Order: sequence, then structure tokens, then C-alpha cells
Amino acid sequence: MSITLVNPCNERKPTASVAPRRQSLAGATVALLDISKPGGNFFLDRLERLLLERYAVARVTRVTKPTYTKPAPEELLQTLRSADAVVEALAD
Amino acid sequence: MIEPGHKAPHFSPKTGHGESCLLVFLETDCPTCRLAMPYLNRLAEQTAQVIGISQDSETLTRQFAEQTSAAFPVEVDSNLQLTRAYDPIAVPAFVLVGSDGYVKRAQIGFDKDELNAIAAEMGRRPIADGHDGVPQRKPGCSSRHLQPSDSGASPEPLNVYATRGTRASRIDISEDPYEYCIREFGDPLPVIPPSVERVERMMGGLDPAQVIGMIPPCYGEATVEKIAANAVMAGCEPQMMEVLLPLVRAVCDERLNIHGVQGTTHFAAPLIIVNGPVRRKLGFACGQNVFSNVARANSTLGRALQLILRNLGGARPDGIDMSTLGNPGKFAYCIGENEEESPWEPLHVQLGFRPDQSTITLFAGEAPHGVSEHFARSAKGVLKAISHALATVWSYRACMGHEALVVLGLEHVRTIHRDGFSKQDVCEFLFNNTGVPVRAYDDHEGGEGMGQMHLYREITIDGERCCQKFRSPESIGIVVAGGGAGKFSAVIGSWATGPRGSQRVTYPCP
Repeated sequence: MSITLVNPCNERKPTASVAPRRQSLAGATVALLDISKPGGNFFLDRLERLLLERYAVARVTRVTKPTYTKPAPEELLQTLRSADAVVEALAD
Repeated sequence: MIEPGHKAPHFSPKTGHGESCLLVFLETDCPTCRLAMPYLNRLAEQTAQVIGISQDSETLTRQFAEQTSAAFPVEVDSNLQLTRAYDPIAVPAFVLVGSDGYVKRAQIGFDKDELNAIAAEMGRRPIADGHDGVPQRKPGCSSRHLQPSDSGASPEPLNVYATRGTRASRIDISEDPYEYCIREFGDPLPVIPPSVERVERMMGGLDPAQVIGMIPPCYGEATVEKIAANAVMAGCEPQMMEVLLPLVRAVCDERLNIHGVQGTTHFAAPLIIVNGPVRRKLGFACGQNVFSNVARANSTLGRALQLILRNLGGARPDGIDMSTLGNPGKFAYCIGENEEESPWEPLHVQLGFRPDQSTITLFAGEAPHGVSEHFARSAKGVLKAISHALATVWSYRACMGHEALVVLGLEHVRTIHRDGFSKQDVCEFLFNNTGVPVRAYDDHEGGEGMGQMHLYREITIDGERCCQKFRSPESIGIVVAGGGAGKFSAVIGSWATGPRGSQRVTYPCP
């Protein structure tokens, strides 16, 4: 039995690509993104300390999404683009 | 919507100072309108004539213009007079009027190529960079003039973005098509294989490449052909396309925020509520077993939406859809209001539609929570029982942040109506009598909802101090449905609500 089907799925190819990986965090600017979930700041506070103490990071930028329920606004993404690396705290 | 070549209504060449002029219809709470503003500012800064036409109040419009640093005048369209004359189905809507007062271009939704084409036609430099991080295209929100009952407009569900998508690819298979479809693109239940012939029958001569929406979170292109293929799989009859196309538009309305609903760990799933004559025409169940497997129309429309969200939106339940416990409504979640047996005006009439219009409403809700009350003999008695269930929405001690839909069964409705309550009275009674006793917060361990207690309103219910559960009577929606026997109703809790969560949306069916 042979049949021709209409593809019902999304066929758009993703256009985003993975940014080049860093070999080291020394001297880098790292952005920490809090998506506004409860508890995210505890995790990121600790991470900020570790990054500065152990990994010789030059600067840590803290960024907070207005709400976890929606995609980040454009201005926030612009801030993240200026960093060398981003760590996102996703859940509670 | 007005088309190129027509004379622009209420427009004098003086308005455009002898040059072509871009009219932009917008709503102050539409995220796509806000997204478009920096690009329009760029156009205005090149001395092009741009006029914003706001569908909102003076105050909101002034705030919007300030927040977006509007570099061009934004006028208030009182009584939506201009909007009705130009008849856009969605905002933002762009109408380019030539110096001769005739429409040169008309476009709905955000589209960078189209914005650059408008700039070029006005003799200005391009305004939208393809690589500035903003999506190439973004759907807008339903135009306000399609909401009131006296609009007289006939919504055209297809001409939404005036953009054409890519045709679906064809897949030749020689194995059992049922097994293939279950494996490759269904929910785990069998589907009808979307053969070329069946999909064509489903489209019934509509333009296959017309884009109806881009489905979050992966923004797959929902062309008429892709929607039809999923409708075939769900078992829809071809007539269902007249409801399914506006439904796809509604699910893409940013106010519903399906992006968040599909990704959340919460239980939420979009519940479809069908109102108006289309219920009878297509056989939607409104009575006995309304939430279950009683009618082909409810089951297949609900399932078609879920398949579209999964296959085109990419929210797979083993991936991006992160719901901790899920929701049985993710197979199909669709009810009709039992308008014939309700003494009150139906939901869509409450919202300003005419009784002879048909609408679909989407509400991001949990599974129904049953309320049995077989002994109360008065409206207040029945509503008290429902208020206790309402107090548990989201989490018992969390107040003010969430909403609920109450689906009243017919026996309860009769008791309530006999005591002279209107639908509005029901909302107000439930609002004033749903609360969480203050003593429930006397807990040293803390817990969800306790940290915000200082923001809650204190009220007295039956002599007890309580925190009021909801923000306003409008936080409680009322729908009448179900069969004639049994004193049952149901409470459906919401997901996060308001502009930062999901807002209920209602769209007309043509």
C-alpha cells in the first residue's frame, strides 16, 4: 500500500546558531539572568560569588525579566548581547 | 479591510501635506503594536508623514505615546469611527495613503519586509534591519471594533497577515499509514492519515499558502494547508474550518500568551468555549457530559487545536511542554454554552457580541473541579458551596493573583435564577463571599500566598475575618452548561493572569 501524506508539522528550519564556546571565563563579563521565579536570586547570588572568587570573572551583570510567563523584552536581550557569557536561572 | 485602489475614508490630501501618509491603527496593550513603534519612529524621523490611530482612551493613548517615545502624532479614534471605516481585522494595521487620497498599501501585523516596502514607497531609507534580534514577522491582536455588538462588520478570518507561507511538503509512504502517523505526528491516539485528497477536501478551495498565524513557542507557520492537515488527523469534518481558522487566530493572540501556557509546569490548557448559532450548525454538545466524549464537534475541534499546538507550535509533552502533572484536556478541551436552557444572556452577549453571532473563547485553565450541592434550596446556599471550591483555586492561601471560570449546571442555575439572581449578581455574590479565613495564615512555617498577605483585602464572611480571594467580580467567569439531571457545577482555576500571564480572549466566527 502506498499513500502520499501532507506534512502536518512545522517545517521552518531554526535560524539561530550556537555562539562560539569560551575556553575560559577569566576577564569575561558574565550576565546572570533571573527570570523572576521565586528563589532564582538565591541561586544567582551564590553563583555570582563563585564566578568572581574562583573563575576570575571581570564583571557580573545582573538582569531580571519582568515576568517568567513571557519572552524577554528586546531591551533586556540587548543587554545580554553585550556580555561574553550568560547564565539563566530558569525555575523555582 | 480597505484595499489598495480605494479612496481613503475621512482623509483629505491636506492631512498628508501633499505627500503620501501612513496611517497606523493600534491598541495600547497590543505587544506587536509596541514592537512596531521604534521602526515607525525611524520612518517619522526621516520626515515621513506617519499618523497613529489609537483604539483606546485619551489617557492610555498619551501613556502609550510617552512610553514608546512616539516621534509622530498618535490620535484617539473616538467611537472607533475611523477603525470601522477602514475595517482592519487586527492591529497593528498599516494603511499607506497616496497624495491623491487613494490607498496604496494595506497590511496587518508586524512584518519587516513590508515595513521596508512601505518606507521605500514613501521614498525613505529602510527602517527594519533583518538581523536586529526582533522576529521577521509577528501577529497582532484582534481589532477592537470587532468586539462590540453594533460593529456590523463581517470578520474575514483569512486576510489577517496578507502574507503567504510555504506549501507543506509531501511524504510518500508504503507502510501502514496509521502506524506511521501515530509514530511521527499524532498525540498517542490513532489519527486519520492526512492524505492529499482529504486535506484538499478540508480546505474546500481556500488558499493553501495563506498564513493564519505563527504558533508559539516555536512559531511554526500555520498555513491553511497545515491547519487542514491537522484537522484531518483530528477527525474534523470540512465545515469545522470556519471555526478552526478564527480559533488559530485567537490562540495566537498575545493576550492569551499561549507561549507561556505551553511551556509552564502548571496544569493549564486552553479551554475552548463555543457560543452562538454555530453550536447547533456544527453539532457542538452543550448538555449532558459536556466536558467528555459526547460529540464529534467538541472532541475533534479540541483535538485539532491540541495537534496544531504540538505539531506546529512545537510544544511536545516530552519536551517544551513542561507541565508537571499535565491535564486530560490536552487531548481535547471544548464545551458549548447551553444557551437554550439558560435563563441568562450567554457569555458572548455579555461581552458585547450579538446573540446571532458565533464566537469562540479561550481560557487557560486547569481541569474542572466538581462541586456537588444537592441539599441547598436557595441561590445563596448553592453559591456558598461553589465559593468554598473557588477559595482553593491555585493554592488555598494565594489571593488576588488568579481567576476562575464557574460552569454552572442546569439544576443549580434553576435554583439560583428562581431567587432572582442575574449572571452579574452571581459574580458579585461569589466575589463577596469567597475568602480564606485569616486564621489560615497563622502558620509559622510560611507557605505559598502568605508573603503577599499585606496586599490582600480583608472582608467578613459569615462573621469570620477573611482575605478576599479575587481581585474583582470580573475575575470570575460564568458559563451555563451540562445536562438536566444532577445538582453539580464545576470550578476551573486559571493560570497566571493579567497582562503578565494569560488573558481570556474571544473571537467572532464569520
